[in-house]
Amino acid sequence: MNHLKRKEVAFFGKITAGITHEIKNVLAIIQESSGLMEDILDITENGTFPHKDKFIKSLNRIHGQIQRGIDVTSRLNRFAHSPDHSPASLDLNEITEQMVLLASRFARLKNVVLESSPSDPPLIIKSDPVSLEMALFESIEILLNVIGSGGKITLSPRKIQNKCVLGVGYENTILPEEDFMAKISSTERWASLQEAMAYLGGSAKVFGLAPEILLYLPESIDD
Amino acid sequence: MDRMKILLVDDEQEFVTTLAERLELRNMNVSIAMDGEAALGIVENDPPQIVVLDVMMPGLSGLEVLEKIKAMDSKIQVILLTGHGATKDGIRGMQLGAFDYLIKPIDIDELIEKLNEAMKSMA
Repeated sequence: MNHLKRKEVAFFGKITAGITHEIKNVLAIIQESSGLMEDILDITENGTFPHKDKFIKSLNRIHGQIQRGIDVTSRLNRFAHSPDHSPASLDLNEITEQMVLLASRFARLKNVVLESSPSDPPLIIKSDPVSLEMALFESIEILLNVIGSGGKITLSPRKIQNKCVLGVGYENTILPEEDFMAKISSTERWASLQEAMAYLGGSAKVFGLAPEILLYLPESIDD
Repeated sequence: MDRMKILLVDDEQEFVTTLAERLELRNMNVSIAMDGEAALGIVENDPPQIVVLDVMMPGLSGLEVLEKIKAMDSKIQVILLTGHGATKDGIRGMQLGAFDYLIKPIDIDELIEKLNEAMKSMA
């Protein structure tokens, strides 16, 4: 990534991180306000508050949505801080879990479920966070563009022949496996993914004819 | 038993006043300040037992206020509130003498647990 691009990414990251703090302050106020309502209900004598059950149900829904908002903004905040340090020590389980939350909406639009399958033990590499997240997102988008509706995409960090690999696999029997490589390799995004992987010192491959993109990553970007 | 005496410091007025109401419902004696200068004034004139202090505030930062409180009265316990991705501020705060730190938005039960722990440590 050239110097100007790096500065642009850092700028977007800084502004986004600042905004996430603002959103969290809003969520904190909603949380405390709904919590106060709950406290008041708790000290209200039985039978003196009409429709108490419905009120509690509604408060529980608010709490659930606050938690959802906190999860999303926390991930967005972490994502926005990605450009802060490069290269950085990265846990591939954390990167995939973060991407699942951030990219789920794109998958949901195609009725696709996005999930991660963490590796045990976790795989830690030294790499460029922004380029790695971009490569992972490109892989998801490539799959979403060539597949039909429905099914599941699983992000699975693992070791293959002693090499660190991020697998982006699609599970759906409707897709004819033999067409997969041809469909993927003809997309512009595939070329873009190859470029990002070259920058990371790795490569992107398709596992045989099975519908999975494998991102091979060096343990250190300096290798 | 005496009521726990708390000072809440945060520049988000709605947040700090609502949290104060919740703690008062739990029989705590709570005062509030919306910036570092106001907080230091309260510490000087009507010292609390525990200060719950936001790290990111306009004017004096939470860490600067923490240092000044500790210089005024080292027995006052301080619990910091940090944003996500700012845990390094919490750790730095503990090095400066803070009792602990919590990440905003906070869970009321977790805050009460920390307040009780801080009180016990003063006994």
